[in-house]
Amino acid sequence: MLFNYIKIAWKVLLRHPFYTFITLFGITLTLTVLMVLTSFIDHLLGSHYPEYKRDKSLYIMNLTIQDSARSSMNNSPLSYNFIKEHIQKLKTPEKVGFSTFVSFANSYLNGKKIKLNTKFCDANFWEVTDYEFLEGKPFNEQNIANGEHVVVITDAIKKQYFEDETASAVGKSIEIDNEKFRVIGVVKAAPVTRLMTFSDVFFPYNLPKSNYQTAGLQGNFTAIVLAKSKSDFKAIQEEFNASVNRIPLPIALYGQKYDVIEVRAQTYTDTVLHTFMSGGREIYFYIGIVFILLILMGLPAINLVNLNVSRIMERASEIGIRKAFGAPSSALAWQFIIENIFITMIGGSFALILTLIIISIFNDSGLILHADLSINFSVFGVSLLVCLVFGLLSGVVPALRMSKMKVIDALKSS
Amino acid sequence: MLSHLFKLIWNKKRHHTLLMVEIWVSFLVLFGVMSLISYNFKNYVEPIGFEYENVWALDLNKNQDTTAIADKLHIILQKIRSYPEVEAASRMSSNSPFSFNTSNGSINYKKTSVHGDYYDADDAFIHTLGIKPILGTWFSQSDVVAKFKPVVINQQAKEGLFGEINPIGKIIGDNQKVVGVIGNFKAKGEFSDNRPCIFNLIDDKYIFNKVLIKVKPGTDANFEAKLTKEIASVAKEWTTEVSYLTDQRQNQHNLALVPVIVFLIITVFLLVNVAMGLFGILNLNIAKRREEIGVRRAMGATAGNIKIQFVGEMWVIATFGVLIGILFAVQFPLLNVFNIEASIYWMAIGLSIVVLYGIVTLCAYHPSRQAANIQPAMALHEQ
Repeated sequence: MLFNYIKIAWKVLLRHPFYTFITLFGITLTLTVLMVLTSFIDHLLGSHYPEYKRDKSLYIMNLTIQDSARSSMNNSPLSYNFIKEHIQKLKTPEKVGFSTFVSFANSYLNGKKIKLNTKFCDANFWEVTDYEFLEGKPFNEQNIANGEHVVVITDAIKKQYFEDETASAVGKSIEIDNEKFRVIGVVKAAPVTRLMTFSDVFFPYNLPKSNYQTAGLQGNFTAIVLAKSKSDFKAIQEEFNASVNRIPLPIALYGQKYDVIEVRAQTYTDTVLHTFMSGGREIYFYIGIVFILLILMGLPAINLVNLNVSRIMERASEIGIRKAFGAPSSALAWQFIIENIFITMIGGSFALILTLIIISIFNDSGLILHADLSINFSVFGVSLLVCLVFGLLSGVVPALRMSKMKVIDALKSS
Repeated sequence: MLSHLFKLIWNKKRHHTLLMVEIWVSFLVLFGVMSLISYNFKNYVEPIGFEYENVWALDLNKNQDTTAIADKLHIILQKIRSYPEVEAASRMSSNSPFSFNTSNGSINYKKTSVHGDYYDADDAFIHTLGIKPILGTWFSQSDVVAKFKPVVINQQAKEGLFGEINPIGKIIGDNQKVVGVIGNFKAKGEFSDNRPCIFNLIDDKYIFNKVLIKVKPGTDANFEAKLTKEIASVAKEWTTEVSYLTDQRQNQHNLALVPVIVFLIITVFLLVNVAMGLFGILNLNIAKRREEIGVRRAMGATAGNIKIQFVGEMWVIATFGVLIGILFAVQFPLLNVFNIEASIYWMAIGLSIVVLYGIVTLCAYHPSRQAANIQPAMALHEQ
C-alpha cells in the first residue's frame, strides 16, 4: 500500500514539472536553512574537538557576588585560590582542569606582527580536554613546579612563526611579549567558538603574567570538572555547593560588603545560556528560538498549503472513484499526508546536499577561525525530524480538504 | 471598479484566507528586517566625529605590579611622545573608540538629565583623534581651578541638557564645568547610536591603562615591536596589547552587520518562496476562470481590463493582509518598543508596504497577461 502511495506521488510530481519545481524549491530552501541552523547550534553546544568529553564534564565559569539588598553585583571568573580551595579538593570528580579565559599577546617576526590568543592552564587541563598533540607533549606537574618557561602552540601558529614547516618545532624558542619560551608541544588548532578551551598558545598557569596570585574569590580562571559518569553530576554539584557554603560571609571587596555568592557547576549548554541570559531569562531564549522556527517553517508551509489546496481539483476524479468504492476519509487523508512526506523527503535530500556545500564553504571561509561545522548523526537525526514536522505541517490541511470532498462533487466536476 | 473587486474577494473570503495569512506573516517578517535596516542606515548617515586612520590603541596591563605605577606610566608616555613616528599620544579610559568596553550613566544639569557615555581623556586627545570643538575649547591641565573640574560634552548632550542656551562655563553634576562642546562622538563605529557623552580630564593620580597614539602614515610593525620592547624595559611585569583602530572598527562593523545580513538572507529566501507560491496559485486560478474571462472578453472588455482585474484582485487580497499586519506593526512606534525613534518604525512600515506590493504585482503580472491573451472563441468553445 505504502509503495503504491509513493508511486502515485511520483506520478503526480512528474505531471506538472512547473509546480513540482515550485514545491521542491520551497521545501529545499526551508530545510537547508533549518539544517544549517541545526549544524551551527551543534557546533556551538555539542561535543567536538577538543572537548569530546563535554557531555561528561561540568563547567564553572563565573562567580557572582551580591550584597543582601541585591543592589550591587560583581560578576567575574574565578581566582586560582578559589579553584584550589573549593574545586580541586572535591572528592567526587574524576579530574579537575583549569585555565584562564583567552587574553592577547603580540609576537613580532621580521617586521610582521602575529597577534596571539593566550591561555594559562594547569597540567590536568590537557587531560580534561582532548587536544591532539601533533608534536611533543603537554607540560606536566614537574614543568610547572620548576617554573619553566615552556609553551604549547597550535599548528596554525607554528606555520606562521617558524619558516620551516616540516621540521619539528619542539625545543625551539618563541618570543611572545618580549619573553622567550621553549616550545614543548604542538597541538591541532581548535575553533574560536570553544569558549573555554580555544587558544593559540598555552602557558603554565604559574607564570607571573597569569595573575594567579590574586587574592579573593574572583580572578580570571575557569574550571572544567570531569565526572566519572553523567550520573555523578548531582553528587559533584552537591559537594561543590556544600564547599562554597562554607565560605565565611560577608565578603569585603572595594569597600563594599557582599553577602551572597552565586557560583554553579553546570553542563556546557547551561553555562553558556546562563552567561548570556542570567536570572531566569533563559525562557526568552527558548521562546525566541521557537518563534524563529515557527516563522521559518510556517511561512513556506502556508505557501505549500495554498498551492496544494489550489490544485485539489486535479485529483478530484481519483478521490471520487476511491470514495465511491468505499475508501474511508481517513485512508485518503493518510494517503495525501504520506505523499506529502515523501515529497518533503525528496526536498530534504536536496537540502542535505546543499547544506553540505554551504557548510564546507563556511568552514573554508575563515569567518569563524578553524570552524569545524559538520553533519553528524545527531544533526542528521534532527534534520530528519524537521523534514517530518514540515511535511505534516504542510500536508494536513490539504489532506483533510481532499478527504472531505463529497463523492458527487468530485465525480461531477470531472 | 474597486468596490466591485472588494466584493468579489469578500464573497470568496474563505478561499482567500490562507493567502491573506501568508501576506500578513510576510509583512511582519519584512517589517522586522526593514526596521533593522532603517535603524542601521539612519545611524550610518550620521558622521562618526573623529579620525581613526593610523591610530593605535595601547592596552597597558600592569598585572600584579603595584609599585610606582603613576611614575612608570608617566615615563612610558614621555617615551612614546619622543618618537618621531608618533604624531600625538593621549591617555584614555578603557572604553576607547571601537573597544568593547562601555561606561555610562546619567549626566545632570539642574533638573534635566540625559543618559550618556562617560569618557576620560587628557589634553592631547583631540590631536590624536582629529576632533575640532564646535564651541569653546578642549580642556587642559590649566583649566583645573579651585574645586571645578573641566569637562567637554558633545552636541547630543548639549541639546539634551541645555537646548539653545550656551553651555560654556555652566556647571553640570556637582562640580563639572563645561569648557567645550564637540560634534558627534560615535565611539562604537558608524552603525552605533549617536549618543550623548561627556569627557572628564584624566586625573594624574588615577590609573587608566589605555594610550591612543597617532602614528605617521606608513609606520609598520617594526616600530610596534620597538615600542613594546621599550615599554617592557620600563615596566618589566606589564603586558602591552597593541591594536589598530581600523581593525577594531572592522570588528564593530561585523558585529552590527552580520545580524542584518543573516536576517536579510533569510527574509529574501522566505519572500522568494512566497513569490513563487503566489505565482503558482494565480496560474491555477486563471486556468479555472477561463470561461469567465471568455465571457468578459466577448462582452467587450479589453485585454487591459482583464489584466487590471487580476492584478487588482491580488492587490485587494494583499491589502487585507497588509492592513492586519499594520495593526500589529504600529504597536511598535506607539508603545516605543526597544526605545527606538518612532520615525524608524514608520519608515520600516512604509518600506515594507512598498516591497510587498512590488512582489505581489510582479507575481500577478505574468499570469494576468496570460489571462488577457485568452481569446473568447477558444475559452467559450471548451464549454
